[in-house]
Amino acid sequence: MAFVLTALGAMLAVGLELLEALAIVLAVGSTRRWRDALLGAAAAAVGLAALAVVLGPLLLSRVPLGPLRVVIGVFLLLFGLEWLRKGVLRLAGLRSRSSSFQEYVEEREQLEAVALPPAGQADWAGRVISFKGVLLEGVEVILIVTALGARPGGLAPALVGGVLALALVVAIGVLLHAPLRRLPETHLKYTVGIVLTAFGVFFTAEGLGVEWPGSDAALLYVAAVLVLVSQVRIATLARWQEVPA
Amino acid sequence: MIATLRKLVLGETWTLPVGVALAVGAAGLLSELGGDWWREGGGFVLLGLVLLALLAAVRRPRR
Repeated sequence: MAFVLTALGAMLAVGLELLEALAIVLAVGSTRRWRDALLGAAAAAVGLAALAVVLGPLLLSRVPLGPLRVVIGVFLLLFGLEWLRKGVLRLAGLRSRSSSFQEYVEEREQLEAVALPPAGQADWAGRVISFKGVLLEGVEVILIVTALGARPGGLAPALVGGVLALALVVAIGVLLHAPLRRLPETHLKYTVGIVLTAFGVFFTAEGLGVEWPGSDAALLYVAAVLVLVSQVRIATLARWQEVPA
Repeated sequence: MIATLRKLVLGETWTLPVGVALAVGAAGLLSELGGDWWREGGGFVLLGLVLLALLAAVRRPRR
């Protein structure tokens, strides 16, 4: 069960982060030059690979298991609760819905305002935007996969989920950007928030000496409580918003 | 870049990182004080504290 939940959590989180990176690279490539967009993205990928190589072994081999679980749990709580906070506000109608397609359109509009250098000269603006977009989204991907994979037996499902997400996002990129518009991103991000927060509570408690009743099944009832409380909050916030001031 | 990284790790508000720090800090203290009860029920205490942090971060905005 933990294998499936870890793989699912990694797949959703990595997939959504990569979609945001894809939106930026597509915007740079289609408004400026594909070569510069891909060079910027490739440079970021090299930097991210180096970070993953350094961060993974350092965390997994140097830090004792108890404190490691607390550190990982706190990271997952920070990421998961932020996704959940935004998800609750979006679903209650207090924040605009998440859309990589909209980000793609906005990025394109901004890029079209910047003059393109003559043919044969490097487009540093395009390269830097592509690099920064992929690097920032990628750092979050690495932190989430490292955190989910740091638990004993967690690396394989985290990598399986991550690779599946990568394949899916590349497929979307190859099949043009049209599917971006059809993804229910707000609901997917809310789900990622639930999954990451459940893992965060689970790991942190284990690191502090807790033995969960039902072992790994605790992930399910912790997630169920998070869904219940957040849905009640969404309903109360949505009702409050409908009442005229 | 630093501001973006801070936002990426800690989020857009200070309520959540402070709430998580308080929740985990309180849970750490309780785990030192508690015995068997913490081992069996501490997870639910931490879950409750985390939910409080979340609810504090999604308060109704002022009209």
